Amino acid sequence: MKITPGGVVAAEWTKFSSLRSTWITTGVSAFLLIAFGMIASASFSGNGMSAVDLALGGSTLAALAVGVLGVLLGAGEYTTGMIRSTLAAVPRRLPVLWSKSLVAGLAAFVVMTIGAFVAFALGGMVLNSAIAGVSLGDDGVLRALFGAGLYLGLVAVLGVALGILVRSSAGAIAILAGGLLILPGLVPLLPNAISDAISPYLPSSAGSAVMSLTHSDGSLGPWAGLAVFAGYVVVTLGAAAYRLKKTDA
Amino acid sequence: MIEVREVTKRYGTKTVVDKLSFTAKPGQVTGFLGPNGAGKSTTMRMIVGLDAPTSGDVLVNGHSYVQSAAPLQEMGVLLEAKAVHPGRSAVSHLLAMARTNGIPRSRVDEVIGLAGLSSVAHKRVGAFSLGMGQRLGIAAALLGDPAVIMLDEPVNGLDPEGVLWVRNLLAGLAAEGRTVMLSSHLMSEVSLIADHLVIVGRGRLLADTTVAGLATAEGVRVLSGDPANLRNVLGGPGVTITSGGPEELFVAGRTAREIGMAAAHYGIPLFELTPKTASLEEAFMDLTRDAVEYEAAR
Repeated sequence: MKITPGGVVAAEWTKFSSLRSTWITTGVSAFLLIAFGMIASASFSGNGMSAVDLALGGSTLAALAVGVLGVLLGAGEYTTGMIRSTLAAVPRRLPVLWSKSLVAGLAAFVVMTIGAFVAFALGGMVLNSAIAGVSLGDDGVLRALFGAGLYLGLVAVLGVALGILVRSSAGAIAILAGGLLILPGLVPLLPNAISDAISPYLPSSAGSAVMSLTHSDGSLGPWAGLAVFAGYVVVTLGAAAYRLKKTDA
Repeated sequence: MIEVREVTKRYGTKTVVDKLSFTAKPGQVTGFLGPNGAGKSTTMRMIVGLDAPTSGDVLVNGHSYVQSAAPLQEMGVLLEAKAVHPGRSAVSHLLAMARTNGIPRSRVDEVIGLAGLSSVAHKRVGAFSLGMGQRLGIAAALLGDPAVIMLDEPVNGLDPEGVLWVRNLLAGLAAEGRTVMLSSHLMSEVSLIADHLVIVGRGRLLADTTVAGLATAEGVRVLSGDPANLRNVLGGPGVTITSGGPEELFVAGRTAREIGMAAAHYGIPLFELTPKTASLEEAFMDLTRDAVEYEAAR
């Protein structure tokens, strides 16, 4: 009997899998990804979007849902009082954050990667006739689909970190939605020179770079974009770790 | 063994625990008593490492609980009933806690049986009554078969059968040589379970004593038609007699039987003969009177 990293991960998986809310939120995330991908594939007939971009058209909403999943796992510890049991069992504290992030990130990565492939398959079946179809073997398609899973997995980790950092579901969801949805809408209001310089580095635009086949000038490359997004996640995790370790629970 | 050494905890300018020191030893039940707001829960949170002391040290089995390699084996804790996610079943909650410390699944079933939760083990904890929540918390505390058990208000919300169960359980654990510490704001409850008492008020140590040590001031109240004569008859070494009114005496050092026999022998009329024991509750109230944080207006 002693604390092992594997034991703490197993415990976090038990916590994850024993709540109805995690399954519902995970299901909703995958549903949003697939449903909005199909709608976009069927209805869009303009220029500048490939079949893959359309199939992953639900990724913005799916990111919000999967981020909420992470927040519920993180902040839920505090809102329910569970954190006292958790930290009594693992008084060193930090293994809890790493394990929770790993479980949430891996679960979201697996489910959302499958979701991305399903969205691509179903989107291809209902694809608007004005858009050229692509196949899995085409350049960048696999990268975009796995990239979607990676991005959404990282968003779940971001949610966990925000939840542990803020300790309140409402607060953490507000920050998450602000960062992923509202910020990209506000930045274009800035003078062009500034907004053009900032835009590619916003969390959502950096993260989506890995999912898109078409790259406009000025947007980050797929892996550079994902790396920038991972940077945001690491910084937030660091802040969460600091607060978890240094302050009274 | 729990050792609290000169521990102080401040939140801003408010001192919640003030240079508190005491030791809870193996093989006995230590009652941690004090009025609401005395700093009991904060002290227990510091012992388990949830809160860091502003100054001072807390040791569990001779070292810091936070550094422990197998924490649940060192100490089992019940802090508040509400330290569980309401959406999870009792089994899942205990299993998650067990896995962190590498405790086998069979032990989870064992403590569920021990706590009498077998019939509701797979129900959502959110639907539990206060008493069932307490039983789950106690089951969690016993999970690691710990050398130290620390429970914050364990009988809160329990029915009489549950209270009796906790009493017997804790007595049994102490008899096995474990350290048992429980907090309460009710003297009557603790005096039935505890051997050793640590009494706090406003974060300070008021008394570190035994149940027997706290129960003091025995005497007999006597109403008599001839108190002056009775006083002469009863006087002697080790006897103190005080007058409470024209016919009233308070005698310490003689039993009611001795007083009655003496009065009969000398033909002194008695109207009343009442043995008085200052109850533990009264002794506790006297001790904490000046340290009550929230007091009803009189």
